Amino acid sequence: MRPSAAALGVARRSARAHFTDPTKKRGLLVAFEGPDGSGKTTQRKLFKTWLKSEGYDVVTTKWNSSDLIKPIIRSRKAVRALSPEEFSLLHGADFRHRVEQIILPALWDGKLVIADRFLFTGLARDVARGLDLDWVLKLYQPLLWPDLVFYFAVSPITSGKRVTATRMPNFYEAGQDVTDVEDPVESYQRFIARVIREYESLALIFNMITVDAEQSIGDQHRQIRELFLEGQRRPWSAWNTDAVAEWLAGRGAAR
Amino acid sequence: MKASKARLVSVDGVDASAVIAAARRAIDRPGRGGVSHWDASGIFQDLCVADAAAGAPSARTLLLLYAADLAFRLRWEIRPALAAGRTVVAAPYVDTAIAFGRAAGVPVGWLTNLFRFAPPAAERRFVTAMRGAASANGFVELASQRVHGGDRGARRRLIGGAAAHLRAEARRRARRSKR
Repeated sequence: MRPSAAALGVARRSARAHFTDPTKKRGLLVAFEGPDGSGKTTQRKLFKTWLKSEGYDVVTTKWNSSDLIKPIIRSRKAVRALSPEEFSLLHGADFRHRVEQIILPALWDGKLVIADRFLFTGLARDVARGLDLDWVLKLYQPLLWPDLVFYFAVSPITSGKRVTATRMPNFYEAGQDVTDVEDPVESYQRFIARVIREYESLALIFNMITVDAEQSIGDQHRQIRELFLEGQRRPWSAWNTDAVAEWLAGRGAAR
Repeated sequence: MKASKARLVSVDGVDASAVIAAARRAIDRPGRGGVSHWDASGIFQDLCVADAAAGAPSARTLLLLYAADLAFRLRWEIRPALAAGRTVVAAPYVDTAIAFGRAAGVPVGWLTNLFRFAPPAAERRFVTAMRGAASANGFVELASQRVHGGDRGARRRLIGGAAAHLRAEARRRARRSKR
């Protein structure tokens, strides 16, 4: 049922009051972004272990991992049946479902959410596939902005070397649906160069914290800890009011 | 060279069986056209077998899935048939999903952007009559069920809201064509 304007207004006030209450420990959202082979998963795991040792209640969510949508995407990827639009829309649906089922409930409960890839992954990959940035960005509305976004920057050559050292990139990872290059390694190299170009623009536009992912694992981890300790004191972003309010109103309507 | 008869006709409505019947009538000459039904990609069929523990999808999630299915239909059914000079009746097309979204409170701007990739139909038809309850095999009915689960009252209100939006759109179209 349609949430009334009054219900949305109440939900907006409730969202602001909840996330700006100085007596409550507020939820934090930290996103790890970067191309394949940038080492962000290693850093995410180290970061999580450290946060837990510091007493944080941590929830992790990964790209394309919702129980509802992931099977749909997996079966279509297996038969290479996705066009760029379908690829984008299905990943957008997976993201939306995780925002509503995992991320917002955890933030509301004051937990720290680590997102291994966030909507910027969708933007970078979809635009690298030739889709319009404005169209893709709007699919993700109402937008939920993380408190911190770490962007793990590597060159296309480093990404290619790290990914192909242990395995062959799969069809969509290599962008073979848009490059028309038969060799997955060569296709990956071309596609990841486009993805990284998009990521670099997004990192500037959205004020991400860039981590030089060509440094040693230990150096990166220390840098992330320091940046997190500085960044976690940032106030709650009022830009997130609409996303939280819609979720709250939807919860009320679905009850 | 023969003149192309390629034409995209949309038939939208809440009552799925009435929409299918209207779609068949909309094909001017049998053999020269076909009907493109929703869920040709099987996305919603797959969704129905998902574990309930995965959580109820919101209206926005379902609309993103509908759009993904429509992108599939355009790629494999609608555009190839138009390229071959045939009439294609898309039943339902964009208006049904927009009506559902509006009834669920999704902003119009978001809905318009979502379906920006879909070409406008040369002719838009609306099935506004409701023969009792909506058919279980229609998008609006299925989506309402997914959003509201066992709450029959809320489901009925959402379906009724979508039907009202479609009637209003049909009236707007009719007024515009009279001018």
